[in-house]
Amino acid sequence: MNGALGPEYMVVLGVFASMIAVMVSRQRTIAAYWAALAAVVAAGIWTAALWSSPALPISLYAQGVRVDLFSLAIDGLVLLASAGALLVGWNDARYGADFPALVLLALLGMMVLGLANNFLVLFLGIELLSLPLYVLAASGGYAESREAGLKYLLLGAFSSGILLFGLALLYGASGTMVLTQLANSSLILPLAGAGLALTVVGLVFKLGIIPFHMWVPDVYEGSPLPVTTFMAFGTKVGAAAILLRFLFYGFSVAVGWWEPALGYLAVLTMVAGNLLALAQKDMKRLLAYSGIANAGYLLVGISAHNQAGARAMLFYLLVYGLAVLAAFSVFTMVARERNSVSLNDLTGLARRSPWLTAFLAVAMLSLAGIPLTGGFVGKFYLLQAALDANEPGLAIGLVVGAMIGLAAYVRPLQRAFQGGDGTSEAPVRWPVAGAVVVVIAVLGTIGLGVYPAPIVHIVNHSAAFDWLR
Amino acid sequence: MIAFVILAILALGGGVGVVVARQPVHSALFLILNILALAIFYILLSAEFLAAAQVIVYAGAIMVLFLFVVTLLTAGKDDAEPQEGLAGQRLTAGILAVLAGGGLAVLGVLYPSQSIPFGLPPNFGNLHGMGLNLWNQDFVYLAAVALMLLTAAIGVLVLNRPQRRQHRAGVKGEDS
Repeated sequence: MNGALGPEYMVVLGVFASMIAVMVSRQRTIAAYWAALAAVVAAGIWTAALWSSPALPISLYAQGVRVDLFSLAIDGLVLLASAGALLVGWNDARYGADFPALVLLALLGMMVLGLANNFLVLFLGIELLSLPLYVLAASGGYAESREAGLKYLLLGAFSSGILLFGLALLYGASGTMVLTQLANSSLILPLAGAGLALTVVGLVFKLGIIPFHMWVPDVYEGSPLPVTTFMAFGTKVGAAAILLRFLFYGFSVAVGWWEPALGYLAVLTMVAGNLLALAQKDMKRLLAYSGIANAGYLLVGISAHNQAGARAMLFYLLVYGLAVLAAFSVFTMVARERNSVSLNDLTGLARRSPWLTAFLAVAMLSLAGIPLTGGFVGKFYLLQAALDANEPGLAIGLVVGAMIGLAAYVRPLQRAFQGGDGTSEAPVRWPVAGAVVVVIAVLGTIGLGVYPAPIVHIVNHSAAFDWLR
Repeated sequence: MIAFVILAILALGGGVGVVVARQPVHSALFLILNILALAIFYILLSAEFLAAAQVIVYAGAIMVLFLFVVTLLTAGKDDAEPQEGLAGQRLTAGILAVLAGGGLAVLGVLYPSQSIPFGLPPNFGNLHGMGLNLWNQDFVYLAAVALMLLTAAIGVLVLNRPQRRQHRAGVKGEDS
C-alpha cells in the first residue's frame, strides 16, 4: 500500500508514544506533549511527501478509504488545528497528561473523515472524532465543563443515531456502501431521499448549522480553552470535509435533492448566527456563534456545487482556522488561570498589552472579512462561487451576514481600546508556545490576505472535482 | 413471514415497553426481550455469528451492567413521575416520533429495497467469514473501533482524576 496511510499511522504511533511517555518519564506532562507534537510534525511531513506522489488517488480496503489530494489537504488543515491546540494548552497541568493523547485521537478521526469513501468509514470517523472530544470537553474538572461534556455526549449520540439511520436507509435504497458507487447504482427514490435527509441532518449537526446548533455555545463555553480552540477549528474541518465528500462524490447526479435545502440552511445560518453573536458578552460564546455563522459560509461553498465552491470552502477553512487560532491563543493568555474571558476582561487591553491587542484585532478583522486579511479573500472566493453557480440569494445572505458579523467582532476591539490607565494592571504574560501560535496565525492571516496565490494553487489541485460544472 | 410478524411484534413491544415502563428494572427486562427478538432476526437472515454475539454481548454483558447501575441508583427511591417542564411535551414528542417512524416504515414497505446483486459470499454469517473480512478488507474498521475503545479507557482515567490535583493548577508539569 506504499505508505498512503502514513500520516494516519504516524498519528496512531503518536497516541501510543504520548501514553508511554506519561508512564516512563519523570516530567510526565511535558514528555507527552513533545511526543504528540513530534507525531503531528511527522504526519505533516509525510502528508507533504505524499502530495506529489504520482500514484494518487489510491483506494484501499475495498474502496473504503480513498487517499487523494482532497484528503491530503484536509490532513494538512487538521494537523495545523491539532498543533495549534497542543501549543495553546502546552504543558498545562490543568488539562492533565492525557490531553495530548486525546487530541491525537480526535485528530485521527478528522483525518479519517477526510479519506472516507464508504458509509462505515464515514460513521467510524465521526465517532472517532467525537468520543475524545466528549472526554476533552468534560476534562476541565469544574461544573461547567462537566455540563458541557454531558450535553455534547447526549446530543452527539442523538445525532449519531440519526446519521446511522440515514446511512442504513441509503444502503437499503442503493445496495452499496461505497460513496463513489452511489452515483452508478439505481436508487429507490423515496427511501434514498429519506436516507439522504437523515444523513445530511446528522452531518450538519456536527458542523453546527442552525437549527441544529443548540449544543455549540454551551459546549464551547464550558470546555477548557485549548479544547474549544481544537473544536472550533478541527471539528469544523472534519465535518465540512465529510459533508462535501459525501454530497459531491455520492450525490453529484441528484443535485436537486439537496442543493436548495442546504442553500436555505446556509443563508439562515449566516444571518441568524451573526445576529446571535451580536448579543454575546462572553468571548467563548461570541466565537461559538461566530463558528456557527462561519459554518454557514462553508455551506455556501458546498451548496454552490461547483469546483469554485469546493475550492473556496477549502480556502475558507484555512482562513477561518488561522483567525480562530489567533483569537483563542490571545484569549488563553488573557484568561490565565481562569477559563473564560468576558468583554470586561478586555477593557483597557490596548494599554496593558498593545501587541496582543494588535494580534487580536487582526484575528477579529479577518473573521469580519476586512481587506488585507485572509477573511476578505476567503469571503471573496465564496461570493464568486455563489455567483458562478447562479445563486444570488446565497451571495446576498453572505454579504448581509458578514455586515452583521462586523459589528459583533468590533465590539471586543472597542472594549480593548477604551478605558484602563495602564498602570493598575500588569501586562499580559506571554507563554512561549502560545506566542508561537499567535504569531504564526497572525502572519498567516495577513499573508493569505496579501498574497494568497500559493494556497490557492494547492486548493485548486486538491478540489479538482472534474465532474462538476 | 409468520416468524417475521411474530418477531416484529415482540421487538416493537419490547421497544415500547422500554419507554413506557415505570420501573427501570422493567425497562431493562423489556430491552432484553427486544434484543432477543433481534437476535432471532439475525438467525433468520443466516447471520449466526451476529446472533450469538448479540445475545452474549447485549443480553449478557451489557444488560448485567444496566441492572447493576439500576439497582445501585434507584434502590429505595419512589418511582413518581417528575413534573414536566413543558406542558404536553411527552405527548407531542410521542406523536412526532410515531409519525416519523410510521412514515419511514410506510416508505420501506411501499418501496422494498434491492436484493444484493452478487448473492451471499461463502462463509457468510459464521465466525470464519467474519474473521476473514475483519482481518482483510475491513481491517480499517477493526482498527478504528479498537482506537475508540482506547479512547474510552483513557476517558475513564481522565474523568475520574482525583479532585485535589486540579486545585493546584499551575504551568509546571505534574511530577510523581
